[in-house]
Amino acid sequence: MTKKRKWSVIPGFLALAAAATVLSAYSGASSSQGREPEQPVNFPHPKHAGPVAQGGLGMNCLYCHSAANKSPDPGMPAVNTCMGCHTVVLGKADSSKQQIAKLTAYYNKKLPVPWVRIHKVPDYVQFPHMRHVNAGVTCQSCHGQVQGMQRVYQASSLNMGWCINCHVNGYNAAEGHRLAGAPDSVIQAAAAQPARKARYDCAVCHY
Amino acid sequence: MSTETGSAGVKRRDFLKVLGATGAASTLVGCTSEDVGRLIPYVVNPDNTVPQVSNYFATVCREGLEPVGVLAEVRDGRVIKLEGNPQHPANRGALSARGQSAVQGLYNPDRYRAPMVRQGTGFVATTWDKALARLSQELGRARSQGTAANAAFINQHELGSFPAFLDQWLTGLGMPAHLAYDAEAPLATMAAHRAAYGTAWPRLDFNAARLVVSFGADFLDGWGASTAHQVDWADARAKLETAPRMIYVGPRRSLTGLNADEWIAARAGSEIAILNMLNGTATAAQTAQAAGVPQQTLERLAQEVTAAGSGLLVLAGSTDATAQEVAAAAAALNRRAGAVGTTIRPEQGIGAYDRLNSYADLRGLVERMNAGQVPIAMVRGANPVHTTPTALGFKAAFAKVPFKVSFSSYPDETTELCDLILPDHHPLEAWGDAEAGPGLLALQQATMEPVFDTRQTADVLIALARADQTTAARYPVRTYREWLMGRSGGEAAWTAALPRGITNGSALAASAPTRAAVQLRPAQAIPAPSGDQMTVVVYPSPVLGDGRGANKPWLQELPDPVSKVCWQSWVEIHPSTAKRMGIERGDHVTIETPAGKFTAPAYLYLGIRPDTVAVALGQGHTAYGRYAKGIGANAFVLLPSGEDAAGGLVLTAGNGRVTKPGEHSPLVSTEGSARQHGRGIGQAVLVGELGTLSAPEVRARQESGGGGSHASGDENVGGVAPQGNAGPAAAGGATEEHGGAAEIPGEPSIAFLPGLRSPVANDAQGEYGDPTSKDKGLYDPNHPTGMAKRRWAMTIDLARCTGCSACVTACYSENNLPTVGAPWQGRALAPGVWDERPGANILKGREMNWIRLERYFEGAEDAENTFDPNFDTRFVPMLCQHCGNAPCEPVCPVYATYHSPDGLNVQVYNRCVGTRYCSNNCPYKVRYFNWFGYGEPERRQYAWPEPMHWQLNPDVTVRGKGVMEKCTFCVQRIREAENRAKLENRELQGDEFTVACAQACPSRAITFGDAADPSWSVAQLALDRRSYHVFAELNTYTAVVYLRKVIHPAQSAPATA
Repeated sequence: MTKKRKWSVIPGFLALAAAATVLSAYSGASSSQGREPEQPVNFPHPKHAGPVAQGGLGMNCLYCHSAANKSPDPGMPAVNTCMGCHTVVLGKADSSKQQIAKLTAYYNKKLPVPWVRIHKVPDYVQFPHMRHVNAGVTCQSCHGQVQGMQRVYQASSLNMGWCINCHVNGYNAAEGHRLAGAPDSVIQAAAAQPARKARYDCAVCHY
Repeated sequence: MSTETGSAGVKRRDFLKVLGATGAASTLVGCTSEDVGRLIPYVVNPDNTVPQVSNYFATVCREGLEPVGVLAEVRDGRVIKLEGNPQHPANRGALSARGQSAVQGLYNPDRYRAPMVRQGTGFVATTWDKALARLSQELGRARSQGTAANAAFINQHELGSFPAFLDQWLTGLGMPAHLAYDAEAPLATMAAHRAAYGTAWPRLDFNAARLVVSFGADFLDGWGASTAHQVDWADARAKLETAPRMIYVGPRRSLTGLNADEWIAARAGSEIAILNMLNGTATAAQTAQAAGVPQQTLERLAQEVTAAGSGLLVLAGSTDATAQEVAAAAAALNRRAGAVGTTIRPEQGIGAYDRLNSYADLRGLVERMNAGQVPIAMVRGANPVHTTPTALGFKAAFAKVPFKVSFSSYPDETTELCDLILPDHHPLEAWGDAEAGPGLLALQQATMEPVFDTRQTADVLIALARADQTTAARYPVRTYREWLMGRSGGEAAWTAALPRGITNGSALAASAPTRAAVQLRPAQAIPAPSGDQMTVVVYPSPVLGDGRGANKPWLQELPDPVSKVCWQSWVEIHPSTAKRMGIERGDHVTIETPAGKFTAPAYLYLGIRPDTVAVALGQGHTAYGRYAKGIGANAFVLLPSGEDAAGGLVLTAGNGRVTKPGEHSPLVSTEGSARQHGRGIGQAVLVGELGTLSAPEVRARQESGGGGSHASGDENVGGVAPQGNAGPAAAGGATEEHGGAAEIPGEPSIAFLPGLRSPVANDAQGEYGDPTSKDKGLYDPNHPTGMAKRRWAMTIDLARCTGCSACVTACYSENNLPTVGAPWQGRALAPGVWDERPGANILKGREMNWIRLERYFEGAEDAENTFDPNFDTRFVPMLCQHCGNAPCEPVCPVYATYHSPDGLNVQVYNRCVGTRYCSNNCPYKVRYFNWFGYGEPERRQYAWPEPMHWQLNPDVTVRGKGVMEKCTFCVQRIREAENRAKLENRELQGDEFTVACAQACPSRAITFGDAADPSWSVAQLALDRRSYHVFAELNTYTAVVYLRKVIHPAQSAPATA
């Protein structure tokens, strides 16, 4: 190989690298999908929001994330919301007792629990939770089956293609209800409805 | 040749390793959100708050002479914006630029964060307990030594109960009543008003006026209750045919003067002569001689004044030695004309300016301080070291006081001399009240938790009094808030009144200020300038006031409404004088008066007499924080320590020598050209020709049918509207239906959007994307989301607009616009060498203001050689026109700007790669580029130093470096309103929300809404007979419709424009 020919392959490599970068960006591989960070207090969603049949309490998501149907931000429960029950409910198993003691310690020190954030869209994206919740999109459609997650992880990619997919093709309500663990009758009723489409203009979310 | 090692270049293996690593790195960096931070909940949920949803608290804004009602928008516990309170009778929902900037005082990074005590030449932080103990001890010592009666308390001027409360406290401790000082307050006018009308500030009813004659009274920019005046004035002018005409008399055309239909350029100090003539005690010939204006002008003025009858409204606000005589003569003229009761309404006035001391009182204090009689001086809100003439020697006298306390929150010039600093709450953190009108009280409530460890001064006073056995009994309550509640009928009544912010009641009555036993030293009348002497006019800046606004970057960055200069001081000089002296724009000019010397670059101004120079107060701070210190020059050095008959400070004091030191520095100005060059940007019509205008549909029909002129930019030369059918090609042009006009290239066969025209919006999707496609996507009016059913649009009524620029600051506040002119925000000239001139970015044309106020002059073309007072001014708010056929859109290589189905020209920040093609192609020059990382805290150019970033609007992206940005029509407000309507399961209602600039506008010139829905006002206004589009000849089909200004010429004289 001549020296000249050797260097002529470099643009080719550059093009390949660029293509790889672009592909990886669009494939969702670059998102934090699947990230499952450790939390300061090991909050068991299955115990609180899991179905009663499986030993959960079946609490509605809105009990704690109370702004999800009226604000762009779903809200995190204030520590005193937790303490509303946990001044009385102190846990049975040792592991539970330990975690509730941690929570109580935060509360007694008047400190918030510094939860590690999992779901975040970039600053240039406006995501109004209430529009989605009130349109009937179940929480599980985007966040996964949190009611079954011992430790919450990012279930969806949150990439733009993933958003747009629903906005253009319409929301599959039956699937959303299935993920939320709704009874079969509800799922069947939803399946009979046409998919709801949404606006997909750039300035609906980016401003 | 071998591929083996040995060559000096990169080895292939190494190269591939590097390449691989780079690829992996970019994959990781790409869109990852690994570090997404923490979600911090409340410990205890506050009541009635929803995260990310704003609450609005009614309170009082104390930025100007007249307190106005505001609504503070509070998001998650932080104030993010101020808007006018519609319930307040004065401002009725409007808010000036100064008022809106109060949030930058609240979040000012240079505020004291704790009480401070002097240590050597500097200060160290201390605790409140120690600080209060120190003050108690000093007060106790003064009392035990029997010198307490000589103590002094200088307070800012403010309405409400606090001044009387303060006096009670001072008296309780054996100290004299406080001294309320405000360099801007027109004391002479108030004294004359009190004598003539029985109230300090009667309501001025512009609506009832036929002729307004202002003798230097800048009622639109700082004189008295200027926001209230502006609301009334604009409403009166909007009556068009029956609107009042305004004549401005004075040596310099201020912003109010530029809004006048005629300017009589009388010599400074000759206002009294003209009024005497109008009152019949002098002849026109003598007066013309004294005033330096043609005799026939004065004769015509006299005729007009007589003809106006009881519709006359004469206002006097001159600031020379004769100020009180001028105001008294103006009042006499009003009374003689029968205007009292029609245009002047004393019974609706605000008489609460009574607790205002004069400059003479302050001079008395200086004399006592100099004599060593004052043991303790306390200062709150006022900054007399900066806001008194340097000739007074306040600084040296103040330094002689053994113990000085400041209650200021900011490191201003006066506070820097003090021994103890007890920082006050910002008004947005504090409780209070203020008179809002006869029998009405505005309530001031704390809108958020204090940003820093500050305390409300009233609470400090209560704490001190309760700690003292002799006074404790008088203060049964612990806080000023409880004290106020006790006055207003208890907690229940108080709590019920707070949401409205206005209640029936009155503030604690203040006794009249104690007049210090000082002999008035009336200033000299101004002699006619001769030789190299010129009359020096000093005026408070409409934006910065006497200097108190200088620490707020929004106000520093807001171009002066008249000169369009920011971040700088300037000297106004007439072009003909400048030519004679060889001065060009930006050449330094030195003014030397007996009191001192002032040097600043020249601004050649048509609106000033050739024998006069003018400088604004406000700049030239030697302290007061990073945004104020070292910017411009202080004009107080030019003033002698002189008073008018009411004891007010004389600002127009006499003559000075004007020289040219030979230096030059470019003016930091956002003005491209002061002339329109026939472009027809700001159009006007004479009031008599209103009848010749026809509605846009009619115009379009005539145009296409009659085959007449289709030019629209050039028919407006000279500023007068066209006579007949040649209106600009306006909205809804019906070229195709009528078939008369030539086909416009690029015009598609279908218009998707109803309302104002948007023919090419579909190039985004549909016809141009794929000519054979039937799928118009969201642009299809029948799309299930219905997005294409709306057409967001705006009208701007130039007959109302006064050029005050409140809209500009509103936009900064709403849309997270960075200020870019601070001395550390310039570019690098060489590695490590920075352009540290204030406004360096603006000098490079890199300003950021989505809406700007263009100010164009018409007439007086030969100003270089002759003085001609007959010129007209056009104020044109210029923002993104959201063109239906936008030149910026097709040139974007990455599709970052496009037309949305609801009529917005959208800029997608995350698509933008910063080619700036769009900006180059925009005929309106309304696109702005982020040359630096203004939003990145680690960068030198960061625009929101902590805690200034608390003000940022969470609904709007903070733009990154290398991104183009522009007006979005407040798309976040549109989406918020749509979200709200959807939550309530209803459609949007007409006029249910508006954009930030329209909300703030005190003259209600801006109207925003959906032009496709007739229930919105904008849909009708866009069809007004005065409507036109700027640069309509470019076929941009803008969504912003301007309504022509209306000029009211004198009946007997030719047009002034």
